[in-house]
Amino acid sequence: MGLIVSIILIIVALALAFFLVQMAGLLALVGIIIGGVLVGFGVHFVPVGGAPAAMGQAPGIATGVAMLAAGAGLAGLFGGAWAAPLGFPLALAGGAIGGGLLMAITCTMVNVVYIFGMGIPAASGKVDKDPITGDTFPEYKSQGTEGHGLPFISWVGGVVGGALGGLGGTLIYLELLEVYQAQMPALFGASVEQIAPIAVSLAGVFAIGMFLMNAVLAAYNITGTIEGPHDPKFKRFPRAIIAAAAASAVAGIFAIGLLELLGVF
Amino acid sequence: MEEIIFGIGITALAGALATIAGAAEDTESDIGSQGDPNSQVQLAPQMGYIHRIFNKAIAGEPPAYGLWVALGAGLAWAFMAMQINPILAIVLGSALAVFVQGVYATTAYLGRTASLAKFEQPVYIDILKSMTTVTMAHAFVAIFAAVAMCHLIISALGHPFPLPLLGLVWGIALGAAGSATGNPFYGKERQYQEQKFGAGVPISASGNIVRYAEAGERNSLDNGFFSAKLGGPASGICFGLIVFFELWRTVVFEPIAAGWGAVIVGVVVILIFAIIDRYIEVWARKTFGPYVAPEEASS
Repeated sequence: MGLIVSIILIIVALALAFFLVQMAGLLALVGIIIGGVLVGFGVHFVPVGGAPAAMGQAPGIATGVAMLAAGAGLAGLFGGAWAAPLGFPLALAGGAIGGGLLMAITCTMVNVVYIFGMGIPAASGKVDKDPITGDTFPEYKSQGTEGHGLPFISWVGGVVGGALGGLGGTLIYLELLEVYQAQMPALFGASVEQIAPIAVSLAGVFAIGMFLMNAVLAAYNITGTIEGPHDPKFKRFPRAIIAAAAASAVAGIFAIGLLELLGVF
Repeated sequence: MEEIIFGIGITALAGALATIAGAAEDTESDIGSQGDPNSQVQLAPQMGYIHRIFNKAIAGEPPAYGLWVALGAGLAWAFMAMQINPILAIVLGSALAVFVQGVYATTAYLGRTASLAKFEQPVYIDILKSMTTVTMAHAFVAIFAAVAMCHLIISALGHPFPLPLLGLVWGIALGAAGSATGNPFYGKERQYQEQKFGAGVPISASGNIVRYAEAGERNSLDNGFFSAKLGGPASGICFGLIVFFELWRTVVFEPIAAGWGAVIVGVVVILIFAIIDRYIEVWARKTFGPYVAPEEASS
C-alpha cells in the first residue's frame, strides 16, 4: 500500500514539475529525488550508537543518526557549493569528499578517545568477525555490553555514508540552483549575477531542509542505533529508499514551483 | 602564489578558530549534559539516585548549535549590513545568540527536572544560577569562534553561501563533531567513573551515575573541569582538522588539474586517516588485550 501511494506521489510530482517548469523542471526533480535517495541510503551506513555508545555499552558514534549524517552531509554541501562554478561532476565529487572527510576525521577521533582516553579497544556486538580485517570481537567485548568503539568496518561505513550524504545533498543543491538561476532573472528583471546571492541562499536552504528530512526518515527506519553496513538493520534500507524518494518528490515540487507561485501572485 | 599563501594563512586561522569552537562546544554541552549521556542524568532519579547535575538536553547538540551559530551569524550579518565593524558585529551577534542559549538552558533545566518531581528530584535554584552562566560563557566562545570562522571563509576565501546559511551548516557540523568525540569521555569516564577502567559500562549499571565529589555532592562544574582535560580538546582537534583539511585541500589544490586536485587530495587525506585509525585499532588490541572480568573481592 505504502509503495503504491509513494509511486503515485512521485508520478504526480513529476507531472507537476513538467507542467510548471517543463523539461528542465522534470529533470531537476529527478535529480532531487536521486539526491534524496542517496541521502536516505547513506544514513544507513553511518555507525551510530546514541546514548549507549556514550557509555561504552554499544559500538558506534555517541550521537543521533540524523544529526551525525546531517553534519557530514552539510560539510559535503559546503564543499560542493564551493566547487559549483567548476562544473557539475567536480561539484558532486567535492561534495562527496567533503562528507567523507568529516566522517573519516570524526570516526578516527572517536577511536582516539575510546583507546587513549578510556582504554577500550573496539568490539562489534553484531558480528563476531570484522568483514574487512578479519579481527575477532567476542573476546574483546566487555561483560554486560553489546560491544564498544568503532571497528574498522564501522569506520568504512561512516566514510561511505558521509560521502553518499555529501553527494546527495550537493546534487539537490545543484539542481535547485540551476532552476532558480534560469527563472529568477526573468521574474525579477535582473541579471544572473544580481540574483546569484538569492539563488544560492534559496537553493542552500532547501538543500539543507531536504537533507534533514531524508536523514530523519532514515533514522526512523533504523530505530535507534546501527553499527554500519554489517548490521542486520542495514537490510531495512529499501523501505527508506522508497520513503526518501516520495518525500523528496513532494518537497522538491514545492522548491521547484516556488518561483512559479511567486510569479502568479 | 601570493593568493595561495594568503589562503593558507586564512585556512590556518579558520582551523585554529574551529579548534577553539570545538573545545568550547564540548565542554559547554558536558556542563549542561546535553550530549547523549543526558539520558543517564535523566534516568538516575528514576532509579532512586537524586543528583545535582545540570541537565538541559531538550535538543541534540547539532541542531542546537545549528540554531545558535546561525543566529549569531545572522545577527552579525545584519549588523555588518548596518556598516558596523565586522569584529564588533560578530561579538554583538554572538552575545545576542548567547542570550537565546541562556533562555534555552534555563527553560530546559526547569522543564526536564520538574518532570522528575514524582521521583523526588528537586529543582536546585543555586544550580540554575551557577551553571547557566557558565554554559553561556562557554557557548559564547564556541559561537564567536564559529561565526568568525564562517566570516573568514566568506570574506577571505570567497565561499558563495551567505553568512547565516554558512553558520547553520558549520553549526550543525560543529555539534556533530563535538558530540561524537566528546560524549563517550563524559559519559563513560565521568558519569561512570567508579566502573572498571578499560571496559564498557554494563547495561545493569545504567542510571547509577557518580553523584559525590571529593567534598560534598558533585555538580556540573566538576564535570566541565574534567571534560576540559580530554573530551573538549579532542573535540576541538576533531572539528579543527575537519575545517582545516576541507579548506586546505580546496585553497591549495583546486588550481591543479582543473579542480580535480582538491578531490584527489581529499581522497588521499581520507586514506591517511584510514591508516591512522587501523593502526591505533591494532595497537589497542595488542596493548590492552582481550577483556578480563574483574575478580570478586575475597574478604
